[in-house]
Amino acid sequence: MVVLSAARWVRSRLSDRFWRVQEVLKYARHFRGRKNRCYKLAVRSVRRAFVKSTKARREKKRFLRALWITRIEAASLEHGLKYPAFISNLVKSQVELNRKVLADLAIYEPKTFKSLAALAQRRRQEGFLAALGDGKEPEGIFSRIVHHH
Amino acid sequence: RYVRQLQRLQLLFSPTAADARGARQFVEEAAQDFARRHPDVVLYVSPHSGPGPAPVLRAEYLNGTVRDELIASKTSEEIVQLATKLANQSGLDIIRIRKPFHTDNPSVQGQWHPLTNKPSILTVQGPRLQPQ
Repeated sequence: MVVLSAARWVRSRLSDRFWRVQEVLKYARHFRGRKNRCYKLAVRSVRRAFVKSTKARREKKRFLRALWITRIEAASLEHGLKYPAFISNLVKSQVELNRKVLADLAIYEPKTFKSLAALAQRRRQEGFLAALGDGKEPEGIFSRIVHHH
Repeated sequence: RYVRQLQRLQLLFSPTAADARGARQFVEEAAQDFARRHPDVVLYVSPHSGPGPAPVLRAEYLNGTVRDELIASKTSEEIVQLATKLANQSGLDIIRIRKPFHTDNPSVQGQWHPLTNKPSILTVQGPRLQPQ
């Protein structure tokens, strides 16, 4: 007799359960404790790990910027300038270097950083003269602004 | 001048298996055009008779990486697309690149160390004075 549909009491059984479990466990191999071996605990841990890594991408930007600022502060203090003075005077001298580049220069190019600190210091002194001298002396050389049209 | 990183493509399939139908059609129709369009890639067709492993397209690159792609139950057009994708790749492993830049000489002026900005009396040793 021809059977067109399977009998109702025959169910299909999973044959690749091992690989489905390994797909999850492979992301848990470096965890501590039973969550790197047991599937039930690993599923929860892996999901939390992924969620944390997604959210941490926004925090990473804040963290790295704070790290750069710390390093620039340390380097500029070596040259006798505080961080706010350094950054504000660099901006006023139209040196548009971001904190990442300044931190890398402070580490790998110390002489360049020293000259940048000297530039900021000079601009600071010219700023003080302009504010306190009240127009009798000519305005400073490094206070001149270049206009790009 | 562009050097193609793909050295050879090996098509391993069985002439009788059902899931190798796309591979057989590819060999009959599109393999010659593919080989003509990519003259610097060597295409090997190795049918193994009888029941064997699943049909596979093996790509070997100039840096030694061997990449196997399953072509079971794929149409001839899909295999052509897969082969062109492998031909345009280099053999570097496909993982996340941590930084898009790399230098062997990161420092031109000398990397900072705690004694860079200190007075040189701390580091330099002058000539030893003779007792008179």
